[in-house]
Amino acid sequence: MTAHRVTVENLSLRAGAFALRDIAFTVAADEVLVILGPSGAGKTLLLETIAGFNRSDRGRILIDDEDVTAAPPEARRIGFMFQDYALFPHLTVAQNVAFGRRFAARGTDAEPLESLLERLGVRHLADRKPRRLSGGEKQRVALARALAASSRLFLFDEPLAALDARSREQLRRELKEFLRRASVPAIYVTHDQAEALALADTIAVMRQGSFVQVGTPSAIFNTPADAAIAAFVGVETVVEGEVVAVADGVARIAVDGAFVHAAGAVLPAVGARVLACIRPEDVALAALPQRDSSVRNHFPARVVATESAGLLFKITLDCGFPLVAYVSKQSYLELDLANRSEAVASVKATAVHLIAR
Amino acid sequence: MTASASGAPRALRHPRGLALAFAFAAALLLAFIVLPLAQLYASQSEASLARVAAMAEVRSAILLSLTAALATTACAALLGVPLAYLLARTTFPGKPVVEAIVDLPLAVPHTVVGIALLFVFGRTGIVGAPLEEWTGIRFWGTAAGIVIAMLYVSVPYAVNAARVGLEGVDDRLEKVARTLGAGRWAVFLRVTLPLGARGILTGLALTFARSVSEFGAVIVLTYYPMTAPVKIYDLFLQSGLGDSSAMAALYLAITLSLFVASRYLFRERREPESMAAR
Repeated sequence: MTAHRVTVENLSLRAGAFALRDIAFTVAADEVLVILGPSGAGKTLLLETIAGFNRSDRGRILIDDEDVTAAPPEARRIGFMFQDYALFPHLTVAQNVAFGRRFAARGTDAEPLESLLERLGVRHLADRKPRRLSGGEKQRVALARALAASSRLFLFDEPLAALDARSREQLRRELKEFLRRASVPAIYVTHDQAEALALADTIAVMRQGSFVQVGTPSAIFNTPADAAIAAFVGVETVVEGEVVAVADGVARIAVDGAFVHAAGAVLPAVGARVLACIRPEDVALAALPQRDSSVRNHFPARVVATESAGLLFKITLDCGFPLVAYVSKQSYLELDLANRSEAVASVKATAVHLIAR
Repeated sequence: MTASASGAPRALRHPRGLALAFAFAAALLLAFIVLPLAQLYASQSEASLARVAAMAEVRSAILLSLTAALATTACAALLGVPLAYLLARTTFPGKPVVEAIVDLPLAVPHTVVGIALLFVFGRTGIVGAPLEEWTGIRFWGTAAGIVIAMLYVSVPYAVNAARVGLEGVDDRLEKVARTLGAGRWAVFLRVTLPLGARGILTGLALTFARSVSEFGAVIVLTYYPMTAPVKIYDLFLQSGLGDSSAMAALYLAITLSLFVASRYLFRERREPESMAAR
């Protein structure tokens, strides 16, 4: 199987209330680009434009160096995965998978259908109608169907959004495994952070038709480019302050009623206004001040609220500025946070991310 | 306040009051529909049915009605499905006007339809005259005229039911088909049409039913050759209720069994094919 690659250059489009502005990226064969953004950001519009359902106003779309910007969807060889995978309900699994073969150029060295069904583990379902398939079976049939049509790119438009949490996790794992082995680039659209983290090699955060930040999952989640991205990727604490000192790779920032220390290779100058971002899982709570030299921030705090948040407990604190921490059930019980009114919050200086104002 | 307070508990004490009242009204209506037809059959003797069935004119009239209705249904499918598709899948300026035009035949008295059609398809009609000159096809006093009359009054049923059927087809399935390499025609033939088939067939069954029962528009355009309803009217004028009601019973038996059979064939076999977990 040849390794495919997709490149989008300066793609722009106006479509009613929506618009895409200067979208550009490259996805290689073994990569998954996750486009993360709130609803209304233009994610689906972008996918459908790449698939050929909308004509772009400007820019180019290249698949394997072939310019497909003006090609109709049927000539692009792109596998599109809709929510719940949109299998043809009037056709059997085998007919679904074979659908694209009819239109494929003759004489291609495509994998035989039997072997495809076998490889995706749906051969025993060949004569069934899609209606009775499980979520995982539907996903595998849809992937087989796209492979059978010699797709050179997979586009996923929130395929798992309608599923319950358990199946979603299961299907996400299967999908990740599949994409890791398939030498087909994938673009996956979602508004779900967990999905983005699990699947992405690269995340592009999309807002109002533009990519506002592109980077590795770690870069997006730990060093968001602005306050809105920070809030969207789950940074619970964003507090404004002024840099009062910079020394030894650590900046000292005065915020409401406290000082926050941030470490980093690139630090703002003294006097700069910044936003300090602290992820809730980077906050440790203790009953007494800890003497741990690697932790630069110790905030005596008042416990404002505690709330069960699934596996963890969400603790809202007041250290002069509002601070949110996620702690395990064990810490929650050990510290008796339900009844405690005060605690000490610790945050490593390396876990504080600064955004210039 | 007191009235409503005392009214609510009373409704709760008699939860079936509404259901009973509605069931009574429904039964009355169903009886109103069925009783005349049942009575028509009950008053026939086997001898009179056999005598009418043996009449060559009666047989040919029934055959003509059925074949003309079948041809009408085919025309309605060819002309109605494209319009239904456009109404189901596209928006365009003036769409409400187009929708109103589709329903227009339902609001025109059928004798008026016949007269209006004469202006277009008649001997001196703007389509009828040149068409006869060039091709020899005539629309008055011919089977073609019968089909034209039937089509005019029945085509709204075909378009509207097909539209509902096509609207029910998930457009994401059409998009997926495109990405799998199918062009627009292939998508229509392999995805849209089979998935919208039930709605289309239901519409065509209604079209057929409306066509075999059409009288007013047909008799204005084409008295001879006689369709079954015209022949029944003819018998009624000539020999009163006896033979005409016997032929009516005979004709009804045929058309109603076709109607029932089509209802059975195109019935909803299972829940709609929507995505289970959307």
